[in-house]
Amino acid sequence: MKRLLPLLLLGLLSGLPSLRASSPATISFENDVLPIMTRAGCMLGSCHAKSDGQNGFQLSIFSFDPDSDYREIVYDARGRRIFPSSPDHSLLLLKATNTIPHEGEQRFAKDSEFYKVLRQWIAEGAPRHIPDEPEPVSISITPPELSFKKNETLPIKVTVTYSNGKTRDVTHLSEFTSNDVAFAQVDHDGNITAGAVPGENSVIVRYVEQVAAVRVVIPPDKLLPPETYTALPKNNPIDELSYARFQELGLFPSDPCRDDEFLRRATLDVLGRLPSLEETRAFLADTSPDKRAKLADRLLSPAHRFEYADFWATKWGDLLRPDTRRVGVKPVYLLDQWIREKFRDNTTWDDFVTELLTATGSSHEYGPVAVLRDKREPFEMSEFVGQLFLGVRLNCAQCHHHPSEKWSQDDYYSMAAFFGSMKRKGQGISAPISGEPEYWWFEPGGKVTHPVSEAVMPPKPPDTPVFTDMDPDTDPRAIFADWLTTKENPFFARAMVNRIWAEMFGKGLVDPVDDFRESNPAANAPLLEWLARDFAEHGFDQKHTLRRILNSRLYQQSSEPNEHNVGDKRNFSRSYRRRLPGEVLLDSISLITAQPEKLTGLPADARAMQQWNHLLPSDFLDAFGRPDSSAAPPCERETGGSVVQALHLMNSDRLQTKLSGKSPWLDELVKKPAAEAVDEIYLRLFSRHPRDEEKQIGVRHIGTPAEGETTRPQIEDLVWSLLNSAEFVLNH
Amino acid sequence: MGRRDFIQTGLGALGGLGLTSMLGLQSRAAAKSDTRCIFIWLDGGPSHYETFDPKPDAPSEIRGEFGTVPTTVPGVHFSDKFPHLAKSFDRFTVVRSIAHAQNNHGAGNHYLMTGAPTPVPVGCGAYVTFHPSYGSVVSHHRKVEHGLPGYISTPRMSRSGGPNFLGAQHAPFVISDNPDKKDFRVRDVTLPRAIQDGRAKSRVELRKSLDQMRRMTDAAAEDPAVAFDEYYAKAFDLVTSDEAQKAFDISHEPEAVREKYGRNDFGQRLLLARRLTEVGVPFVTVYNGGWDDHRSLFTNYKKSKAERLDIGVSALIEDLAERGSLDNTMVVLLGEFGRTPKINKDGGRDHWSFAMSVLMAGAGIPGGQIVGATDVKGYYANENIYAPEDFASTLYTKMGIDPQTILPDTNNRPIQLVNNGRLIKELFA
Repeated sequence: MKRLLPLLLLGLLSGLPSLRASSPATISFENDVLPIMTRAGCMLGSCHAKSDGQNGFQLSIFSFDPDSDYREIVYDARGRRIFPSSPDHSLLLLKATNTIPHEGEQRFAKDSEFYKVLRQWIAEGAPRHIPDEPEPVSISITPPELSFKKNETLPIKVTVTYSNGKTRDVTHLSEFTSNDVAFAQVDHDGNITAGAVPGENSVIVRYVEQVAAVRVVIPPDKLLPPETYTALPKNNPIDELSYARFQELGLFPSDPCRDDEFLRRATLDVLGRLPSLEETRAFLADTSPDKRAKLADRLLSPAHRFEYADFWATKWGDLLRPDTRRVGVKPVYLLDQWIREKFRDNTTWDDFVTELLTATGSSHEYGPVAVLRDKREPFEMSEFVGQLFLGVRLNCAQCHHHPSEKWSQDDYYSMAAFFGSMKRKGQGISAPISGEPEYWWFEPGGKVTHPVSEAVMPPKPPDTPVFTDMDPDTDPRAIFADWLTTKENPFFARAMVNRIWAEMFGKGLVDPVDDFRESNPAANAPLLEWLARDFAEHGFDQKHTLRRILNSRLYQQSSEPNEHNVGDKRNFSRSYRRRLPGEVLLDSISLITAQPEKLTGLPADARAMQQWNHLLPSDFLDAFGRPDSSAAPPCERETGGSVVQALHLMNSDRLQTKLSGKSPWLDELVKKPAAEAVDEIYLRLFSRHPRDEEKQIGVRHIGTPAEGETTRPQIEDLVWSLLNSAEFVLNH
Repeated sequence: MGRRDFIQTGLGALGGLGLTSMLGLQSRAAAKSDTRCIFIWLDGGPSHYETFDPKPDAPSEIRGEFGTVPTTVPGVHFSDKFPHLAKSFDRFTVVRSIAHAQNNHGAGNHYLMTGAPTPVPVGCGAYVTFHPSYGSVVSHHRKVEHGLPGYISTPRMSRSGGPNFLGAQHAPFVISDNPDKKDFRVRDVTLPRAIQDGRAKSRVELRKSLDQMRRMTDAAAEDPAVAFDEYYAKAFDLVTSDEAQKAFDISHEPEAVREKYGRNDFGQRLLLARRLTEVGVPFVTVYNGGWDDHRSLFTNYKKSKAERLDIGVSALIEDLAERGSLDNTMVVLLGEFGRTPKINKDGGRDHWSFAMSVLMAGAGIPGGQIVGATDVKGYYANENIYAPEDFASTLYTKMGIDPQTILPDTNNRPIQLVNNGRLIKELFA
């Protein structure tokens, strides 16, 4: 280091960027230098693009802020990072080649192309721009779609088109990310290696701010003859479109599920509870051919609206309800009640969203104001709306260009501008109490500015032209809601049916449900399109789409795989087993044992699904996963299993107390013949009759009571055993 | 997609963004470790004056009512409310110079419980999570055997003590019941009393014979019923493990030992924590609330809370040392900040994040050592000042976790456990 000092000093005195080489500069900072540094890993979130940089050298993540990067490289640290009069002595190059010790080790070699280009840029005086510097306008990938044999590796080429019309191969300056690494992997140089499972996904390519996706297809080893599919029963277009997809992928759907399986699955998926004994007996005894369709109608009928509302409000509560400690108890309670009311009335989604998004008034009088009180800044609201109702994750674009989509900071702040004309007064957030009301109203003239350019952003949804002739006296949120809820809106219906689908099948056609991207294709795009259109044409009625799904043969498949679909976890060629949510399990156990759970702040006979916030204490719900309400909604829930869950179901005192407590049902069972009792227990817990072997085991366990005793303990054991089995805990 | 899948694909997905190069940075990852941690959290913020950093020469409005007590190290004094800890000082270090600027409970809890400041200002009452807590990270990092939880918190979860993006399976297993009570049992890990006879065994056999839903044996199917079986197998493992069951049953502890820790809720929780860490639980938080003494601080400290702390924590450290467990068990005692130098009109001290004292013992941490210092009046840490990030880096390193480890959050963004922390070098003898 010491021997470098005089040279560095010289660099300092030479008055840096004013020093220009005589011939015109050729290396562009934005088009060459930053992409090289990105490729070399300098601008990773774990290296120099950390929030505080690394060892005093701080670059922007994904080089979203070239001006700042330029300052850091050229001027910061007293300009010692580059040294135009002796480029090879630039700290930038000495560090990157590990010539002087670099914590990040060698990023490229001295004889590499990267080195040559950076060296030349420095020698040319390290200009911020070169004369007539073009901007990248688009990138294209050749080939745009690749078909692989299993485990095969193929290269791709990335070509950029600049604003001056010139094109250039930038494969060596691009970054590659596989959307699903289990499906296909991609290396630094754009060589894609297919996995072993047939299907389709994409690899994302990025050069500067340009993003493109290449479709990766792994065709099945062998296709089944087309007539195999034509022979299958089709209940509605869901089936037709699904079979078409299965045919392409060489998948074959599972057999139809049994009646008892359908009854249990449909009741759990629509109402979030087990079928009652009476319902099960009636359904199993019904011999009419359309009994499944009739069940679908019954589940969706207003007669069940309270159960329906509590179940769906629980799902939406996860997404909408803020933390009570932040916005106060009353606003959250009111919002919760509002959500329940909307589902009870089967409010169509266009109205639901419009009411939610255009709320004004007192946080202590009107539920939806709680959302405003929580998402206080325009961008918080727009991120939330984008994720929930557009299916778009804009949040990356708050600080930098979205790494795998086209969304930029412009998109982010333009969308936020819809929410920038709100005023408030009253008590702000003063957690943990926030006891006093806050009032929100629209006042014309609000502005949202871009944090880098400081331009005032016109309200504009992503991927949509600016609205002309916006009335300045109309609440822009109303204009946004109108735009959102037109039939033709490209986001809304798709995002909503995808959420509904995910609730019914355990996974969205687009997965994750709120991450629609060109680079994250739907498992079955034509099906998603059809569902969205059908949903919009039927007035955004959730129950309409639920009925379509319930009546499809696809929904009525067995979860038992066959040899042609056992590996399918994405295309819905079999029903996927799913663990029951905590509230459903808890309510089921309470109902079966006729021992209501004591729930804080709710009436004695309330169900877990009626809880209006996630802070109410419950070991059961903690074990089975509920959203962490101290994280910002929309919150994720843990859907998997765990040892803690197993331990709780096996051993919890409360469960044991429920089993051994006073229960009309269990008390009755004791009086019945053992075979009858076993039958009833199976009907109640599994919605089916026991098989012969099961019946024998059950009857043997119950046995005959000793003198002066009953078989109640044995019956409890039987119920305990079934509660702790996969068939109970899973929806299958 | 389950959370674990997410983390796996998430990590993989980072591959394209240069995971290999990121991993390259981690060549100095800490060696494999089986160190456990008992994390004693004094919620509200204990006073540094009335614990480990008394200022007997300061004016009376700063000095306070209490005197000092000499420790085993000549010249080092603690507040006279902590005579037992003073006698045990040769077994631990006190860092007197941790300082930060998050002067309210919401932000302070988050900073000290996760090593990360909140990215946005939050209020005093905020219960926020923007980053996984130490316990959740340890649980995520360690593959804990025999169905034991990787992170236990008693009697409640501390603020910001949650898993954030690591997912609910790394949330603390909360033991809320009071181990000082006669009928105390750790919930769920032992069989319900009502069936603790032959019935338990017959139940288990009955269950086995009836749990007949067909399992998809092909791993490609990712059958949740197969995962269900694995969880139950581990759960049975735990229930039938004599060693684990003994650990949970605090009544196995000799009466004399129980007395030493203090026959009170807090003392017995410390003892339970020792038993749990000994059987392999890597991280146990013992939460102790009520240290936010804006009024009547001296009266409050004269009541049982200081005495229980003094007796309980010194007993824990001595006990661990006698049992030879101190080498692989770290004991940490802290709150979210210190207290104001000037005693306020209500006889209390307010929030003061510019100086706080942290006790650390075990896992190779030297005994009888004071690290850093505050000025003569106790206003500011002014020697060897350390930030919460430094504390976090030290804790992780002691636990065998590289503080620069990068994990993908729910948006697949790479999140580093600790940003720019340096080790508190005095704790690495």
